[in-house]
Amino acid sequence: MKEVLEGSHAVSEAVRLARVKVISAYPITPQTHIVEALSEYCANDSMDARFICVESEHSAMASCIGAASAGVRTFTASSSHGLALMHELLHWAAGARLPIVMAEVNRALGPGWNIWMDQSDSLSQRDTGWIQLYCETGQEVLDTTLQAYRLAERVNLPVMVVLDAFFLSHTYEPVDIPDQTSVDKFLPTYCPRISLDQENPNAIGQMAPPAYYMEMRHSIQMAMQSVLDEFEDIEREFHHIFDRTYGPITPFACDDAEYVFLMAGTSASTCRQAITTLRDRGHKAGVIKLKMFRPFPTRYIRKCLTQTKKVIVLDRNCSFGAGGIFAQELRSAMYASDNHPQIYSFISGLGGRDVTVDHFIEMFDHTEKANHPENESVWIGLNPEQLNCDNVKGKKNE
Amino acid sequence: MNQSIQTQPPNNVSLLISQSRTNTLGNKTGTWRFVRPKYQEKTAPCSNACPLGIDVAMVEMFASRKNYQNALHTILMENPFPAICGRVCFHPCESACNRQFLDQSVGIHQIERFVGDWGLSNQQSPIQYPELNGAKIGIIGAGPAGLSAAYFARRLGYQCDIFEKTNQPGGLLISGIPSYRLPDRILMNEIQRLNDDGIQIKYNQSISMDKLATFKQDYDALFLCCGDTRSITLKIPGENLAIDGLNLLRQIRSHEMPSIEGTVAVIGGGNTAIDVARSLLRMGANPIIIYRRTRKEMPAHPHEIDAALDEGITLKECLSPIHIQDETNCLCVTLQVMKASEISNEGRQSYIPDGNRREKLQVNHVISAIGAEMDMMWRNDQWDISLSHCRMKQISGLSVFWCGDLTISDKTVTHALASGKQAVIALDVLRKHGNDEIHKTFHQCKVGNGQAISFDIYAQGKRKQRNNNEIVSFEKINAAYFPNIPAVQVNKQSQEAYLNSFEEVISGFDEKQMIGEASRCFNCGICNDCDTCRIFCPEMAIQWDQNNRHILMDYCKGCGICIAECPRDAMNLEVEP
Repeated sequence: MKEVLEGSHAVSEAVRLARVKVISAYPITPQTHIVEALSEYCANDSMDARFICVESEHSAMASCIGAASAGVRTFTASSSHGLALMHELLHWAAGARLPIVMAEVNRALGPGWNIWMDQSDSLSQRDTGWIQLYCETGQEVLDTTLQAYRLAERVNLPVMVVLDAFFLSHTYEPVDIPDQTSVDKFLPTYCPRISLDQENPNAIGQMAPPAYYMEMRHSIQMAMQSVLDEFEDIEREFHHIFDRTYGPITPFACDDAEYVFLMAGTSASTCRQAITTLRDRGHKAGVIKLKMFRPFPTRYIRKCLTQTKKVIVLDRNCSFGAGGIFAQELRSAMYASDNHPQIYSFISGLGGRDVTVDHFIEMFDHTEKANHPENESVWIGLNPEQLNCDNVKGKKNE
Repeated sequence: MNQSIQTQPPNNVSLLISQSRTNTLGNKTGTWRFVRPKYQEKTAPCSNACPLGIDVAMVEMFASRKNYQNALHTILMENPFPAICGRVCFHPCESACNRQFLDQSVGIHQIERFVGDWGLSNQQSPIQYPELNGAKIGIIGAGPAGLSAAYFARRLGYQCDIFEKTNQPGGLLISGIPSYRLPDRILMNEIQRLNDDGIQIKYNQSISMDKLATFKQDYDALFLCCGDTRSITLKIPGENLAIDGLNLLRQIRSHEMPSIEGTVAVIGGGNTAIDVARSLLRMGANPIIIYRRTRKEMPAHPHEIDAALDEGITLKECLSPIHIQDETNCLCVTLQVMKASEISNEGRQSYIPDGNRREKLQVNHVISAIGAEMDMMWRNDQWDISLSHCRMKQISGLSVFWCGDLTISDKTVTHALASGKQAVIALDVLRKHGNDEIHKTFHQCKVGNGQAISFDIYAQGKRKQRNNNEIVSFEKINAAYFPNIPAVQVNKQSQEAYLNSFEEVISGFDEKQMIGEASRCFNCGICNDCDTCRIFCPEMAIQWDQNNRHILMDYCKGCGICIAECPRDAMNLEVEP
């Protein structure tokens, strides 16, 4: 049934349909609408779940870890500073191999205080062992959340479903909400591989000395490496039931493209518009929307870029001192392949600033003219007036 | 059919985590401890405020679980008359209740009434009495103090005889409290319970001071519980035209309805004045209460004053009668207008005449209700023992205790009951251990920091295990465990129904309301088996077996989480010995 839904509520609906048993979360803008709806579902019995109110995001993740260890489906949601506060337990959730699913609404970190869209929060957590899936539309958010449970439970790794603050979390779009029977078919009752059992008591997460620890970390990497194949299977089945599919990457007009944009999130929609303009002008341009960031879908991207001369990467984030993170990831993914394309790194749209069609055209023009990529990422959309303004009046040495 | 096989194929994804099936019994975390938790029950502020020191927290706990038998027995341990006190007590417990700092005080008064009424309708007799110890005591007066003395004396094995001047028991309960506050059947049924338990009341026995020595022959001790029987007079010209308020209440109670109609001036500001005014209203008269200070200074209980004003009774403040004159078809009261004095006496505002300002009030009757005092013959100021609620003097070798209104300054039913209890325990200590032990024993039996003495502690009951002197403050309550729940409102009869009769005004809680209200109680300072300590203990060092909760010291690491979590301050942390 199609309904006009807020992006946040697309997550809530998916969590309800997934028959999650324990939800624990702490409110933070722009995530709050997700768990607000879920708390109401718990209160009015639309869901047979326990909503655990906690005093911080650290505790929210701790509660999910506890509940997931007991062998039930769990959910939390967070953003920005909240996610940063969870950091320690993100490592724990992955190390304990618990299939927790979290909705992460991309928001900038302060200071300056900023509640708007920015990818720094989720990308700061790239090494925690969480699978990260970035979404572009309300429908994709709902579908990805359902897929996330299948995937997490299959590989015993936690999954972060990432959506852009406001551009997606607070935007209303028509979303097809599947019926419970179809969802149950796709996502049957959870049969945990890890589950505390009172009849056969055990303790988990103990000390692992040097002779044991490394194999456990190897096991996480093995599980991560299986994700692409598993996701392919899951998407095939999802397509069979719901007639929709996304892939770890979504290429657009890439078959003959000499220039390919690459980015994650809602700016892919804007970029497709720019592609239409560029094609009209006779440029062979395409775009790859990156859905899966962890594990990095190297083999899909390499396959897609075989004809490409130049890749234009948009990062709505910055690893200070190294530049755009997607660009870095792409460089390392392409390095070992022969005749790999040049990779041009652009940073734009931080802290909720709009990335427009004109910005993409600007990136294209810049890339087309260049012989070699610059050593550093190029920033697009900076306000020169603000750049020249030094507002800190320090004491001068006299 | 193969859906489960399709969707749950064999899972070969690598999964290696650290886990173990070794238990933690070998890990004796008790060695880390330098402080240890201890179950230590304390006194709730309501018990501290109660003149009888009733274990209110425990009563509410039992009542909320519908264990009325235990709730009743807990009250009866300290108070012989729950159904009476559940109606007429001024309930200082509620003013002390910790819950008022969260939302509203618990309705302890109405819960006591419910439990008392349950006892009456289920004919529950108190506890097994001990064998008689051979000693015999005489009690003068079958009012609250005398009945209480008899009850507690019987519980300690004394044989008791009560000598009552009138032809019925109850004293002020029957002569001074109108039946719309305390119905006959409740009063008589509660007193009947004492009769059933073998306490003899001899009626029409007027005892005077000079006869006391003759009791030495048959009795080991004597308790004077005669009460304040003499009305205080106005001492103004025309006083003989006024009707005595206490006498009027007595007449009404015994259904000799005197014919009082029209406008009636009721002089006084105490409970008697209020009782008289409300009774007159029910008889069709139009009472006006005249008081020489303001409402704020009235000694009557505020809820009684409120009830009178709600019923439409007029209160005239700052007026003092100086003359009553007989005029044709009416009485004329001359009233001196009073004003606040700049000097206040012990925190209470004094009032002085406002020059020559006077008012005249024409009424059909004047009732004097300014209080009562003891019969002059009981006056004495040489004591062998002097305690908060009783005094003792040896008269011809007989221990004679002055009790009730003869000794207490707070003239309430509950204080009178406390007086009887205190005097009996004093006698018991005196006989067993001598005079010197009384203060020490009383200190051990004290509830909180007030003057209430616990019979349960004296009788070596469970309450003795508590730290009785420590009172639980609201800061010690873990309020996170208690969501706001407004107090249950008590049921009242409709005003039309009660204003035209002497039917009871308050109809009390029904069972559901009572349970709702009793469940609001924090149960301050007592363990109500909520199990929070055991659930939170990170070392599983708190064990529950054989109906007892105990701490395994081999494993308790002294983290104090149990104490921090205990919702009701029933645990303490102590430094390792």
